[in-house]
Amino acid sequence: MAGTAAGGSRRSRLAPYLLVAPGILWLLVFFVAPIITLAQTSVAVPDGPWWNGFQRALGNYGTHFFRSFRYALGATLIALALGYPLAYVIAFRAGKFKNLLLGLVVLPFFTTFLVRTFAWKTILNDGGPAVWLLQQVHLLGAGGRLLDTTVAVVGGLTYNFLPFMILPIYVSLEKIDRRLVEAAEDLYSTPIGAFRKVVLPLSLPGVFAGSLLTFIPAAGDFINAQLLGSPNQQMIGTVIQNQFLEVRDYPLAASLSFVLMAIITIGVLAYARVLGTEELA
Amino acid sequence: MSRRESDPRDDELHAFLRRAVDRRGFLQRTALGAGGLVLGNSLLAACVGKEGAKAGAADSAAATASSAGKTLRISNWPLYIDKQTVADFEKATGIKTEYTEDINDNAEFFAKIDEPLKRNQSIDRDIVVLTDWMAGRMIQLGYVAPLDDSKFPNKANLVDSVKDVSFDPGRKYTVPWLSGMTGIGYNPKKTGRELTSINDIFDPKFKGQVTMLTEMRDTIGLVMLGLGKDPTTATKADVEAAAAKIKKARQGGQIRKFTGNDYAEDLAAGNIAIAFAWSGDIQGLAADNPDLRWIAPKEGAMLYSDNMMIPKTSDRQDLAMAWINYVYDPKHSAQIVAGAPYLSAAKGTGAELAKIAPELASSQLVNPPDELRARLHVFRALSDAEDTEFNRIFQDAIGA
Repeated sequence: MAGTAAGGSRRSRLAPYLLVAPGILWLLVFFVAPIITLAQTSVAVPDGPWWNGFQRALGNYGTHFFRSFRYALGATLIALALGYPLAYVIAFRAGKFKNLLLGLVVLPFFTTFLVRTFAWKTILNDGGPAVWLLQQVHLLGAGGRLLDTTVAVVGGLTYNFLPFMILPIYVSLEKIDRRLVEAAEDLYSTPIGAFRKVVLPLSLPGVFAGSLLTFIPAAGDFINAQLLGSPNQQMIGTVIQNQFLEVRDYPLAASLSFVLMAIITIGVLAYARVLGTEELA
Repeated sequence: MSRRESDPRDDELHAFLRRAVDRRGFLQRTALGAGGLVLGNSLLAACVGKEGAKAGAADSAAATASSAGKTLRISNWPLYIDKQTVADFEKATGIKTEYTEDINDNAEFFAKIDEPLKRNQSIDRDIVVLTDWMAGRMIQLGYVAPLDDSKFPNKANLVDSVKDVSFDPGRKYTVPWLSGMTGIGYNPKKTGRELTSINDIFDPKFKGQVTMLTEMRDTIGLVMLGLGKDPTTATKADVEAAAAKIKKARQGGQIRKFTGNDYAEDLAAGNIAIAFAWSGDIQGLAADNPDLRWIAPKEGAMLYSDNMMIPKTSDRQDLAMAWINYVYDPKHSAQIVAGAPYLSAAKGTGAELAKIAPELASSQLVNPPDELRARLHVFRALSDAEDTEFNRIFQDAIGA
């Protein structure tokens, strides 16, 4: 066998592999294996050709897919509109309150997703405070409601995924070198110009990551639509859940999952190209 | 114990229950058929189903070995018991009991426990309560441990009419928990008038203020009755007609939600005016909402029965038997019915109930008068293929 020196270099060559091994193993067990099982399920059609599930998934659920992406897009845009200014304030203006504000952003995670969404049911009740307030300012008619409407579902999605928008944007803003902003101002840039030409472009990776972290889970979510929506607001996640649990049409449910994944993957690739982020390429 | 063996009120009820159960004419099928079509991956399910049946019998013998000091775990539907019985049972037997109201929908609950039971794994429950048709499926798949009659002396109290049901001849695996009716629950303050008809739920005046159930047999059955069709003889065309009506109402915004037991929250919170509702639930809400009302519509109502059974993988079957025996004492059964006004299958419950809650003992909820009994229907027994087909039609109608 080779001497100790050779052994040492072999060890250093092996080190990267050893470091990624747990991650790879995890992905194999919890990502690749389920995907294979899901693929098998999607084509295990008992009473027809193997593509039967896909045919029905593509043929009958266009409305649900379209609705899911619309809601997810809506939630992402609202989250961006709410999250960017907040992240900006935390990164640049919060001073000693920075950690407190960050803590508040993360605080909702201390209770589960499901409980928080149930809480919204109570808040948005027909006899609840939100409806009363909106009726007082005449934004909502006398017979109007919030619960079981599109507003409630998109609102719920926004609420649940907002921290995933704020945190990546905050991180990308935080690491911007302040001297670049000062340099822009020294070169007679207005504050708005400095933001537009310096801060905004440098924060785009955060916006990119944040919008993906919001959009992807929102598109596949089923809890918000189920708890806060009427039957006319059901999203594709609800359909998949129902096909798995109620109808137990496994091939259709698995096919729907694959179609959802495919559409999201294509969408993400297109988005990555448009925003041109090298980090993800 | 001093109970009158034959209360006339009871006899009447029992004859009636028998009629309901006989109507089912459950299709006898092998375990092979039972898992197959519904699951999609038929071969796997069928194989495991058959093995499961054998393993189930073997397990149950071994299972009773030692459950001393363990907790009895019961899963039941919400609003289906009084507040005292679990505590009384614990005191009387010394068995620590965890009573969970986590069954909201038969199919959904089955989907949760199907995989582990198929693999012969524990589902961390010792008693589950499921509706007749689902109880039949569970037995055929070999998921249920037989009841140990030596630990069940109160089985003598089981009313004659339900001793021999088609899905479980001789009641070897299951006994009824309670039976109930599916009709209309409503809030007269919100409707502004009394309701009498199923079709009131389609009144445009109540747009966005009504809910229906996710249980296919209940919702399709009621809408069929509203259309003048009989669910006892439901055909595919009947189901399609009912589904089309539901779909149209759903798309038009008439129907706010399809629910399990959770319609109760919406009704109590005042979010909805009318719901397809189970007969005893409204009573449970009455403490906070004395206005709420349940009716069996003039066109008819649906009748169903929910059954206790012991999953084959339970390692505490003697504890489960203690519970089953306990609740078949008419005194205890009456106490349960006093809190959850449904129909009991324990003889003598009526007489005991008359002692503790006389006004309830004569209520239509626990003892339907003849006129009401004549209007109750049981959804026809479906083959697995029909069940899948009807469910597809129904799921499309409810937009899921």
